[in-house]
Amino acid sequence: MTDQSKNINRRHFLGAATLAGIGVLGVNAVLSSCKAKNTNKVLGLPPILSGAPDGKPLKAGLVGTGNRGTGAAINFISAGPGLNVVALADVFQDKVDACRKRFEKYNLPIPEENCFVGFDAYKKLMALPDIDVVILATPPKFRPEHFKEAVLQKKHVFLEKPVAVDPVGIRSVIATAKKAEAIGLNVVTGTQRRHQEDYLETYKQVANGAIGQITSAKAYWNQNHVWFRTREEGWDDMTYLVRNWNNYCWLCGDHILDTHIHNIDVVNWFLGMHPESAIGYGGRARRITGDQYDFFSIDFDYGNGVSSHSMCRQIDNCANGTGEIVNGTEGYTNCQNTIWNLDGTVKWKFEYPKDKNGQPMNQIKIPPYVQEHMHLVHAIRTGEYVNYAEETAASNLTAIMGRTAAYTGKKITWDEMFESDMELGPKEVKFGPVDMEFPVPVPGTQHNG
Amino acid sequence: MRRIKFKLKNPFRGSKAWLWFILFGALACIFVASAGNELMDYTSTDEYCMSCHIHPHADQSWKLSSHYDNSSGVITHCAECHLPPKGHGYLPAKIKHGFNDVYGMLFKDSADFNWEEKRKFEKAQHFVYQESCLKCHGNLFPSTLSPEGDDAHLYFLTSKKELSCINCHLHVGHFDPNAKHEHNLSFGDSTIVGQIYTEATPVTEFKNFEEKIPGTDVSFDMVAIPGGTFEMGSPEDEPLRDPDEGPVRKVKVSRFFMGQAEISWDEYLAFFQATSSQGRKESMEENELDGISGPTPPWGAPDQGWGKGKRPAITMTWHAANVYCKWLSQVTGKKYRLPTEAEWEYACRAGTQTPYPFEGSPRDYSSKGFIRKIFAPDTTIINSFVIYDQNSEGKTKEPGDVKANPFGLKNMLGNVAEFCSDNYNPGTYASYKDAITVDPRGPKKGREYVMRGGSFKSDAKDVRSAARDFTRTTDWLMTDPQMPKSIWWYSDVLEVGFRVVCEADSLVAR
Repeated sequence: MTDQSKNINRRHFLGAATLAGIGVLGVNAVLSSCKAKNTNKVLGLPPILSGAPDGKPLKAGLVGTGNRGTGAAINFISAGPGLNVVALADVFQDKVDACRKRFEKYNLPIPEENCFVGFDAYKKLMALPDIDVVILATPPKFRPEHFKEAVLQKKHVFLEKPVAVDPVGIRSVIATAKKAEAIGLNVVTGTQRRHQEDYLETYKQVANGAIGQITSAKAYWNQNHVWFRTREEGWDDMTYLVRNWNNYCWLCGDHILDTHIHNIDVVNWFLGMHPESAIGYGGRARRITGDQYDFFSIDFDYGNGVSSHSMCRQIDNCANGTGEIVNGTEGYTNCQNTIWNLDGTVKWKFEYPKDKNGQPMNQIKIPPYVQEHMHLVHAIRTGEYVNYAEETAASNLTAIMGRTAAYTGKKITWDEMFESDMELGPKEVKFGPVDMEFPVPVPGTQHNG
Repeated sequence: MRRIKFKLKNPFRGSKAWLWFILFGALACIFVASAGNELMDYTSTDEYCMSCHIHPHADQSWKLSSHYDNSSGVITHCAECHLPPKGHGYLPAKIKHGFNDVYGMLFKDSADFNWEEKRKFEKAQHFVYQESCLKCHGNLFPSTLSPEGDDAHLYFLTSKKELSCINCHLHVGHFDPNAKHEHNLSFGDSTIVGQIYTEATPVTEFKNFEEKIPGTDVSFDMVAIPGGTFEMGSPEDEPLRDPDEGPVRKVKVSRFFMGQAEISWDEYLAFFQATSSQGRKESMEENELDGISGPTPPWGAPDQGWGKGKRPAITMTWHAANVYCKWLSQVTGKKYRLPTEAEWEYACRAGTQTPYPFEGSPRDYSSKGFIRKIFAPDTTIINSFVIYDQNSEGKTKEPGDVKANPFGLKNMLGNVAEFCSDNYNPGTYASYKDAITVDPRGPKKGREYVMRGGSFKSDAKDVRSAARDFTRTTDWLMTDPQMPKSIWWYSDVLEVGFRVVCEADSLVAR
């Protein structure tokens, strides 16, 4: 089969690399017959690099200059030699100024004429011809539109998660991902566990049959309450909503997308598929602003009796923790660094690097937030193509399916989510009054976004 | 001279004769193969195709199409679409089409071909090859693809059903000025020519009347159908019957008015213009009094370019037909609805208990089977009543082309299959236990609805009074590129329409 025909082979859709499953027969055989060096590639895993290779200098533009955006931009420049951030775009002037100041502190000034403000700032930034890479880190509502423009302007992309807040956005992202693939534009997403060496090594163990056949999973992200902004004088509706974006579903997608997506993505990755349907609960007890829930508890059904319990909560003074558990017929794993036998004894443990005193550290050498940028630069400079957008979109849609199940109280299937015309938010995004109401979803009734 | 002769002769006689044999054999093979290759290529050129395919309109429409007239200057030739690429069954397809073409040339007259029908997907899929489309169109996601295109191509990739490129892109190889690859936003725009009715027809007596749709110049005839009792279904000895038509049940039906003909485009477009909406309203509340939200603009031309006017409206969904009735009730102040299956069959039979409401046996009229291919049936009688596959030329017809049944109803059988209000279940009749079942309404629950009467595509077997059929929602929306699919228009069925009934008791005292 040629590469060209691959592009249009139906079975390839959301296939191979995305869902290269542990369940797929023959992985064991492939593994045992391959040199260790090749296993990452065979399993569709990224290379673990100590730094991006040297090469043509790359100029990046940052869209969304808040904390995560600024952080991602710094991660990018620290990924290797010849990497620069040369342009900024944000809806708000003060956000651009703050980010620019931080880069000045590092002695990396960004020229004023390359800084853009407003809802169309991203367009102006992407129109700059000498930008090679764009880092997209605005609230997720805007991601599909930004991604589409980036590929139209032929930029490589770092796509922060979530990639969209609704199914219409998800389909747009998948289509744009395919357009990027067709013309060789690399895309790396911010689901950083897939670039975390301990996770990758654990995945290889599981792929090698360390826990037998997978029977069930659990994913959880339980934490204290998150930030919110109270409305200040002089802010119009849209200013307030975008500044407090993390608390409005049409901008944020709710925290099952915003944070829990990491755990959901790991379960999809380890199981090698996305769920067929979801039933779930959720509610709101402690939140002050916005229209989102405080907690979700979702049963994702992967078919054949395999399900994953997904829970997430943002309430203080509760049992907190984040992680994933995957259970198999011969053992279980936390997906991050340990595999247990069914009797609870440790079967395998990831060996972390040792510190100055010879004691093993509890983390890997290169943070995954930087590793993912190393991978992106590696792909651009070596031509070893990478595109994570589709598989992140699949995990993102899984989270949307869970959210919809909780909001409506109904059983929601993957197929109906994939085809849904749910599109959140106002028709036109601009400053000024916003003609929207923000009722908190009530299960048993239709959620209209 | 002698020496040469000797030299030439010798090798054939000598022990190395076999060497020469192989050499000549090989040369002959190469010659034949290269000539064969030439021949193969020559017989796939446009000139060769057109030397037999006498269809100047096809040549013209091809030259006007995007596969000839485009900004890149590339010309796509006949065989590049009408044969698969080499390595994808090129030779077998060439042989198959070759035989077909030779047979057609020798025994048929191309002037008799129904070219328009051949351009429909059902026919075109047999001589347009998916692999050929994909050979050139290797990138389904060019960066300039529209959001609608994104959705449609994602649907193509994820659909569990086999989809073909020409399901959607039917007219790209041969230009059709009527075909639009877009939402037909101007669909149904018309200028009113006649007198505008200000009010619906008042009805005080139980007799035929002409209903007028207020605010339009559209009117239609309603026939008073007296109540009565009849045998619903077909007896087991009825030729070509299906098991779901039995057991026969005695059914009593109350009086009602019924549309003399199927809903016409004139009538349906009055509804469309009054209610059509750009957006979607998925869950319309029952008995919603104001603000009935009607169909979205259709994709392409739902009338297939056959013309609108008095021709029956087609391709609307059961849901759309149902909303039509609610709208009609609202504007006329009467109670319009879809007929029940019992009302439909009672009205169709019009007092007869034979397979058809006219003379003749299904076995004589049906063209199914080998014998019928040779001895054409005598269809004079059925032809005067029914538009079906033997006389329709693949299209709907106007009601003026047929005779009415004893009740005065036209096109009950044939033309378009008609929606009933009942859910379909093959065991419906068996569930009627009473000696006489009064005004049955079918099963309480179900996913699909009853369709009756057969259509312009049906064999005589399926245009019997008792023949039952049902909606097939998934199949009929297979190629709808929208996500989610339309609730107003079927993308993959042409032969569906409906007629209305009006409840008599609310208008006329007993």
